[in-house]
Amino acid sequence: MRPRGLLLDAAVAAILAFVLVPILIVLPMAFSETTYLAFPPKGFTTGWFAEFFDDRRWMAALRFSLEIAAATALLATLVGTMASYALLRGAGAIGTAFRALLVGPIVVPHIALAVALYLFFQRTGLGGTRLGYVLAHAVIAMPFVVLTVTAALASVDPGLEDAAMICGASRFAAFRLVTLPLILPNVVSGALFAFIISFDEPVVAFFLAGIRDKTLPRMMFDDIEQNLTPVIPAIAVMLTGLSVAVLVSAALLRRLGRTKAAPAGE
Amino acid sequence: MLAIGAIAGGPSVTAATTGAAISVRGLTRRFGAVVAVDDVSLEIAAGEFIALLGPSGSGKSTVLMSLAGFDLPDAGRILIGGEDCTHLPPHRRNIGMVFQNYTLFPHLSVADNVAFPLKMRGIGRAERRARAEAALEVVRLSGFGARMPRQLSGGQQQRVALARAIVYRPRVLLMDEPLSALDKNLREEMQIEIKRLHSELGITIVFVTHDQGEALTMADRVAILRAGRVQQIAPARTLYERPANLFAAGFIGDMNRIPTTWDGRAAHVAGRALALEAEAAVSAVPPGPAILAVRPERIGVAAPDRPDALPATVTDVVYGGAGTLVIATLDDGAQVRARAPSAALPPLAPGDRVGLVVPPGAALLYPAEAP
Repeated sequence: MRPRGLLLDAAVAAILAFVLVPILIVLPMAFSETTYLAFPPKGFTTGWFAEFFDDRRWMAALRFSLEIAAATALLATLVGTMASYALLRGAGAIGTAFRALLVGPIVVPHIALAVALYLFFQRTGLGGTRLGYVLAHAVIAMPFVVLTVTAALASVDPGLEDAAMICGASRFAAFRLVTLPLILPNVVSGALFAFIISFDEPVVAFFLAGIRDKTLPRMMFDDIEQNLTPVIPAIAVMLTGLSVAVLVSAALLRRLGRTKAAPAGE
Repeated sequence: MLAIGAIAGGPSVTAATTGAAISVRGLTRRFGAVVAVDDVSLEIAAGEFIALLGPSGSGKSTVLMSLAGFDLPDAGRILIGGEDCTHLPPHRRNIGMVFQNYTLFPHLSVADNVAFPLKMRGIGRAERRARAEAALEVVRLSGFGARMPRQLSGGQQQRVALARAIVYRPRVLLMDEPLSALDKNLREEMQIEIKRLHSELGITIVFVTHDQGEALTMADRVAILRAGRVQQIAPARTLYERPANLFAAGFIGDMNRIPTTWDGRAAHVAGRALALEAEAAVSAVPPGPAILAVRPERIGVAAPDRPDALPATVTDVVYGGAGTLVIATLDDGAQVRARAPSAALPPLAPGDRVGLVVPPGAALLYPAEAP
């Protein structure tokens, strides 16, 4: 191997380590027998996982987070898919402006977005409501849906819908029966992204949380301030596992989408 | 023939009655300042095979898209089978269409692709399957139903697209340069296939192409378009032998354009006077400068001293097996191409003097100004 290749490998390994080491430190703490965070962990127990699942407050937060994440995935995917379609098949000028605005929620710091949403929701009475959470999370998640869906839609021949229409399908039927099945893997992948973005989201949730309904990340903040037991790393283990699972399935789906949407010619 | 009966609507319906007449009246379509289609009118008989021929930007595709309903005209009307469908959406026109790049649904099997229009019409699964198989038989793809489109060659895919376009027995079939993505041999095979289908199904076909050979061999009549206007609509032979104007003359086949002076009875070229028959002028030609149009294969190459021949100097000789192309320059500077059987020609070399013979009836006369 040439020295340049070696250097590159070393650099990649260093970056990976830099990213992964904090996670690798937190994860073992979940199994420590101590009631405080300890590294290296002392002993081995799965008791903190049990504690999480036995606690009504944690379970309420988990259920609330799941509900919000599911609704967010649904809304962001619906709007995001329609937006992608308009972006690629619709008129030019609005599409270009929209494309520029789309990355807004990605580049604007979440804290800025959260403050803005907080002020807006206070006036409109959406603060602390489920609808408010879902709207806020959908704003954050939608760009990711649009990015995955447009990637698939760009490789689908627009002429296919023309062919479906001349065969007797209405415009919507042509979309539903021809285009949608071809981009479905990426749509589902986008939905998974949206789900995990909402499920993991702490900043906006911090601002929007009411007194009763708290999402899981918000509850973790509270717990860190008050108790800081190994329940937190235990949750971190599960969240990491979930995220990895979602990302891997999203990647697999997108690969499936590429073979599916490929034109029949080759 | 059993399969054909299933497509054409059963043995009681004769092929000749299945097509619908198309009437295009004053069709106009503008894209910004560009007039893509300029007051086009076409009367297409039921069961006729018509080709729309023209260079890109001539408006031929826009006319087809208006017939399909994908493009709405700014003015004019479209009647199919006597019914006004100018503003009818594509899915309610009951028209078959074959596109340039096949447009098969990649996630559906060949059989499901062909059955798709039947599904849209609420036809039950069993009948769908039977009719799709019958349509595949018509395009000679029996037994291919279970395959996926990507497993087929380009020619096979286009035949599946054809089956999908005829399976619901439409009265009109639109074809948008359907063969341009195929290589030469496949293209010729498909031309024969489409001609056969046309005579068997009795369907009205509107076929868009930029390939003049394709238009001439396939269609009953060819409409030549240029800059959004119909230049001429006529059977192939008329187009070739009596083109309506110089554009049509140059677009179909090879045509010599020899500048001349017309005195009302004879055309003066290179110091000689050619007496022309009255019908040589396709449209009225005023005396004065004019263009003499002669097909290269109608010009004879003779000895330079022949009194009725136009004296010329050979500039190039292109031997092409059966025929040879002789390029010569008249004494007044005009270049003329003559194509003759190689066996009938004396040995010729650049610089040789020859006489070019234009027999009576071979020459057409057009006004000098651009049409």
